[in-house]
Amino acid sequence: MVRSIVELTGVTRAYGSRLALDDVHLSLEPSKLTFLVGPSGAGKTTLLKLINREMRPTKGEVWVDGLPAHSIKASRVAELRRRVGVVFQDYKLLPRLTAIENVAFALQVGDLRISDQEAMDRALDALEAVGLGDRGSAFPHQLSGGQQQRVAVARAMVSQPKVLIADEPTGNLDLETAWQIMHLLEDIATFGTTVLVATHNVEIVTRLQRRILTLVQGRLVRDQPAGAIGRMAWLASASS
Amino acid sequence: MVRVVIANIFRYLFYGAARNWVRNIGSIAPALGSMALLLLMSGMAGLGGLALFNLERVEAAQASLLHVYLRDEATLPAVDAFWYRLATDPRVASVTYVTRAEAFARAQTMPGLPQLANASEGNPFPASLDVQLKTIGDVGAIDAMVQHDPVVDPVYPTSYDRGAYQRIQAVVLGIAIACIAFLAMLAIVAVTVTMNSVRAAIHSRRDEVTIMQLVGAPRWMVRGPFVVEGAITGALAGAVAGLVTFGLTVAGVSANPMTFAQFAPGITVTVGALAATMVFAVGISLGSGSSLISVRRHLES
Repeated sequence: MVRSIVELTGVTRAYGSRLALDDVHLSLEPSKLTFLVGPSGAGKTTLLKLINREMRPTKGEVWVDGLPAHSIKASRVAELRRRVGVVFQDYKLLPRLTAIENVAFALQVGDLRISDQEAMDRALDALEAVGLGDRGSAFPHQLSGGQQQRVAVARAMVSQPKVLIADEPTGNLDLETAWQIMHLLEDIATFGTTVLVATHNVEIVTRLQRRILTLVQGRLVRDQPAGAIGRMAWLASASS
Repeated sequence: MVRVVIANIFRYLFYGAARNWVRNIGSIAPALGSMALLLLMSGMAGLGGLALFNLERVEAAQASLLHVYLRDEATLPAVDAFWYRLATDPRVASVTYVTRAEAFARAQTMPGLPQLANASEGNPFPASLDVQLKTIGDVGAIDAMVQHDPVVDPVYPTSYDRGAYQRIQAVVLGIAIACIAFLAMLAIVAVTVTMNSVRAAIHSRRDEVTIMQLVGAPRWMVRGPFVVEGAITGALAGAVAGLVTFGLTVAGVSANPMTFAQFAPGITVTVGALAATMVFAVGISLGSGSSLISVRRHLES
């Protein structure tokens, strides 16, 4: 049996009286790309934030690479987060740093033992891996949306985390660029990182035929294995 | 490895904080101003408090000093016997015989008395025994005891400063309470303004903070730069306030040393430098402390 890299057991998260997640059970295997779909407000972002310990569950357990994200002490949160890379819809690049500095910054503040030279070398490697080896000196405003998202992916991956979570990574991109980013995330999964992508992009989800987790009103209503052709009823609500 | 870690800490914690401090000087200025004002007032209040404390001690010593004036005709054996009787009294700390010549010389150092002394023919000041009591409360009893002794001048037997010490104590207490209340109010303002400026800094750098948190930067590294920024604000405010405090002390001491020593006993240039150093240290503590409170309140882990 393959050991799960991320495991949620009976996870409930409430905002006041409203349940954002309701008794969710799931596990993610290493080196797999999984989609998390569902309508707006279904709890996708909440689930990602629980994995990264941006918030704690109201009830239940969240395990990430053997660490209990649900109960981990504040002093050990950094240790957990170094195992989880994050990509946002709006990239969140620092505007006053160049592309390579954005990547190197993330690497060095996460691990102070890394020298400037090593940080720049590894940042350049990461940028080359996402096809931006020649744009390292460009500032974010000099890059297209797709290129900025690639830099964000390079930043998330440069410290070689075990898990990569992406919240609507293609939300601001045209379809062609979105496909480029998705292929990049596929490659990352192939090379051993567990990737969880929350998305509304129906075409990408259906064509890639990866595992699909469907959340509706905080409940995990479907867990469709990779390659399976499932019912498409969720699409109507997912694209809303 | 150690050099790399130190270099990175310096860059992200101190250099980064200094760079951001300069960039945010506009929003920091009110905190800097209010903190400098608070520290300056604290420094001046501290020096004033020390001067009052010293003044109170001088007054306490003077108030428990009873001058017993002797008859001009009193014989030396009679004065000796009187001196011995007082010196062996358990309520008395010391007894000093002051000759007429010494009384005249002492009068020359007191404001207003030299003119009076010089206007008189001969020496108008009598010999006396200066009786230093252990406690002020015994002054009245000893005074009553010596009033009718044959060696004591019947016209003007004794003198001491009745009630002066109590009046000074009341004034000092009143000033101290007013100063503490005023400084506490100013401290609340300074801390609040500093906390708000740090809050604004956190808000303006929320993306950077988010990224640092999400890539697994240790908590102290996320919070540290804001605390260092607060410490820089406090240090600068402390330096300004300290320099002004020291400058005013030096100006006071060098303008008229005698008068200054009378009004502010114990306040010297060295004490001024010490006060300036303390103001500087308090500034750093206040700045970093209020930043830390703000960071704990406004930065999620």
